Amino acid sequence: MTLLNALESVDATRTAIVTPAHSHCFGELVGRGRELARRFRGARVAAYSTDIALATQIFTAADGVASCVLLLPQDVSQNLARELCKRARIQAVVTDAPEKLACIADIVVNSPLDLPVREAAASCTPTQWILSTSGTTSTPKLVSHSLAGLTRTTRTGRSRSVVPIWGMLYDYTRFAGLQVLMQSLLSGATLAKPDHDAALDAQLKFLASAGCTHLSATPSLWRNILMSGAADQLGLRQVTLGGEIADQRILDSLAHTYPSARITHIFASTEAGVGFSVNDGKPGFPAEYLNTSTSGVALDVREGTLWVRNELVAADYVGDGGAVSSDGWVDTGDLVEKIGSRYLFKGRRSGVINVGGNKVHPEEVERVLIAHPHVVMARVFAKSNPIVGALVAASIVRGPDAPSEFRSELRHYLKSRLAPHMLPAVLEFTDALALSSGGKVTRQN
Amino acid sequence: MRGQSEHGACMPRNKLEPIIRALFLQTFAEHTGAPHEGALEESTVLLETGLDSLGFAILVTRLEEELQFDPFTLSKDPYYPTTFGEFVAFYAANEPR
Repeated sequence: MTLLNALESVDATRTAIVTPAHSHCFGELVGRGRELARRFRGARVAAYSTDIALATQIFTAADGVASCVLLLPQDVSQNLARELCKRARIQAVVTDAPEKLACIADIVVNSPLDLPVREAAASCTPTQWILSTSGTTSTPKLVSHSLAGLTRTTRTGRSRSVVPIWGMLYDYTRFAGLQVLMQSLLSGATLAKPDHDAALDAQLKFLASAGCTHLSATPSLWRNILMSGAADQLGLRQVTLGGEIADQRILDSLAHTYPSARITHIFASTEAGVGFSVNDGKPGFPAEYLNTSTSGVALDVREGTLWVRNELVAADYVGDGGAVSSDGWVDTGDLVEKIGSRYLFKGRRSGVINVGGNKVHPEEVERVLIAHPHVVMARVFAKSNPIVGALVAASIVRGPDAPSEFRSELRHYLKSRLAPHMLPAVLEFTDALALSSGGKVTRQN
Repeated sequence: MRGQSEHGACMPRNKLEPIIRALFLQTFAEHTGAPHEGALEESTVLLETGLDSLGFAILVTRLEEELQFDPFTLSKDPYYPTTFGEFVAFYAANEPR
């Protein structure tokens, strides 16, 4: 089944996407999809737009006929856009913001109508949906998904009498955002998309006025929502969390604020796809999940790290030859610990600190600390935090000539060299730091 | 008020309030690079003061260092304080005896 087929089965007059400026019905998306499909046959295209309705028209036209569709992230730089398009061998980028892609102007078109009409391809393989990893800690990689894989866990539920209204707080070009878009479209629901640049409070007010009933966000964003003045205005029936560790407090607080909502936390990543979802209101996941394999997905814990097998995600990254998985298994890099009959998440094996969704390499902060003339040794680690999940903390051995007011001097020094989320919120001074047998500072807390 | 425990608190609310207020203003100035303008009242929504969630997270950490407890860890109430008044009450209600 293609995306167009799926949308054709929904009442054409129903609203598919609503933004503060416009409203689009399913019939309009289907009509545009049919009209444009012949321009996407066999093509390798990319889409770049802040307009989710335009992007959805492109996806609807392209799925099932295009060779691939690359989703360029909203915050992509010119150079990265060029690099990603080259890697995915993109022939044309459809965008309503050509000025932001000037360095690849030769392949940019301002409307899908500017693409040439193509002959029908002899054979048609499923369209590759190519997504970029977040790349906050390294160069982004490209992962290829199929529509079947992206919609594996989509609940259609077309029979229900009340149409759900999904709220979109994510960038739809990222895996989590695309999940929300697909869930909404394929279940025949309405997607409410606030203005991405508006303050959270204004976004929530828009979602409330649109009658939003289903909402997905990271735990950090949910905490922001609950602390904002607008949380009570939402009448939610489905609350979904993903992307970070969901702790008991956020799960309980959401259940308390939205008593009639189902609370679901999901484990998913660009590379692993959707691993699993948990609905019992507790953090982590039941150990029995390891023994149950459902529709191509299985879980394993190897040396304390979670592995996911997802046969619906391509085995190699697009364009650079690296492997996403080995025998179908993806190493998630997430540490888990079995406590009783449950596995709980313990952070990243690499030591990367997730500060409200921003990833920090401890080594990077340590390098800056060590470069200060009065710092002899430094160890950077995560300090758990109830608001953003974790903050950066540092233990430091001072040199003999460090001034008495060293703490404030060091804070000042760091502030001019590190992004706000990378600044150690806790600075401890100590006489010595443990070293590994290899002579390196150990990072175990 | 939500978040208030029935057991009462060690440090009276009127002693905690100035400590929290001072650390809020200090964190605000350091994190945003400018002093907090306007009044910080009971009904002020903390995340509408201009302090973002990272700044708020730092404030909670500073308060833990200063007061030697973290009500978010101690309290089992399914709740996040929204206003300055609720925030102070949350600390007062959950201070260990």
